Amino acid sequence: MPEVEAIRLAQQGDAAAFERLYQLHNRRVYSLCLRMVGNTAEAEDLTQEAFLQLFRKISTFRGESAFSTWLHRLSVNVVLMRLRKKSAAETSLEEVTEPDEESGGPRRDFGAPDLRLTGSIDRLNLQRAVEQLPPGYKSVFVLHDVQGYEHNEIAEIMGCSIGNSKSQLHKARMRLRELLHEALRDKAREERKAAGGSLGAED
Amino acid sequence: MATIGCKDFPDYLEPWMEGDRHPDALAHLRDCPRCRSLVEDLKMIQTTAQEWGRTESEPPAHLWNSLRVQLVQEGLIHQQSKRRGWLPSLPRPALAGAYLAAVIAVAFGLSGPVNQRINRARWLEGTQNSTTPLRAQFASAEMNATTLSVPDSNPTVTASLHNNLAIVDNYIVLCEKSVNEEPENELARDYLFEAYQQKADLLAQLSERGGSGR
Repeated sequence: MPEVEAIRLAQQGDAAAFERLYQLHNRRVYSLCLRMVGNTAEAEDLTQEAFLQLFRKISTFRGESAFSTWLHRLSVNVVLMRLRKKSAAETSLEEVTEPDEESGGPRRDFGAPDLRLTGSIDRLNLQRAVEQLPPGYKSVFVLHDVQGYEHNEIAEIMGCSIGNSKSQLHKARMRLRELLHEALRDKAREERKAAGGSLGAED
Repeated sequence: MATIGCKDFPDYLEPWMEGDRHPDALAHLRDCPRCRSLVEDLKMIQTTAQEWGRTESEPPAHLWNSLRVQLVQEGLIHQQSKRRGWLPSLPRPALAGAYLAAVIAVAFGLSGPVNQRINRARWLEGTQNSTTPLRAQFASAEMNATTLSVPDSNPTVTASLHNNLAIVDNYIVLCEKSVNEEPENELARDYLFEAYQQKADLLAQLSERGGSGR
């Protein structure tokens, strides 16, 4: 059943059409939720909530935008609502900055120059680091760099300015770099410890 | 020669990552391995994120089931919708075939399919007090079928069809109750669907008898 037909039938309450729409879009919605919350149980819950809202509102869909765009915006909003509920203060875009302790401005710490991320980060490392980001940074980073949204779309979804979205993204990337450097240092320390332990054992 | 220092470079970094290659930033990067490393790291993060975005995860299969239960509970979907209008749209040969099959079955005293289903559904016990939107559709079809029915050459067959209709109605009420109590129970829904199919067949046969009798 083509998507257009499925939408038309779903607007009439057809169960098979609902299932078809779910099958067409569940992977992308679930992946988005999983990236945003980093927790499978919560991602499942959010996916269900997103589709529930979709089916509640499907009769109002008039086709002005692509159905997938409509659904994904709705899904992002569901996730953001959840994040806001979880930590209202942290999620506020204006408030989620990490000011430099001395100047009150953005941090200018470039990280240790001897550590290079090139060739040493993979998706898993990045995922772990993203999970540690404050919700506001995480949302903009996932939406822009992972999901491929443009800043104007993010601004519209998140109710902020384009400049704010750009600024948050930059800070998110900088924070990720720090987190990845920390992870590399921890790893190097553990390896040294393990090497020292094995040398000691040999003695 | 670089016109800006490391201290000023962060002001150029955000636009740089957005594609704005300011000559001062470019000159600084040529001379500064530390800032070059920073830009390379950020590009690496960007690239890895894009790769991550190209992979999708499969949600667990049970997710649709629990979503469907909720949709049914909220009355957003109706399982039988795709069969709406099925009875009136049946082609005449199909009606004739169904009618012939019913006549043969009744003639041989084999009103079994309905009874067998009733036996299968003994687990569905309880009161007979339930309604569904489909009932309204069937009520209308039933009204047409019974009013169209005229005395025919074999009143025994007609009486048997009416008798079977009453049995199926009873069965439908039980199935509806079961579905209302356990919306996630696939078996209950299947039984209900089969019951409605059975009723549709019987109504089609009654309708055909009425039509042919004129």
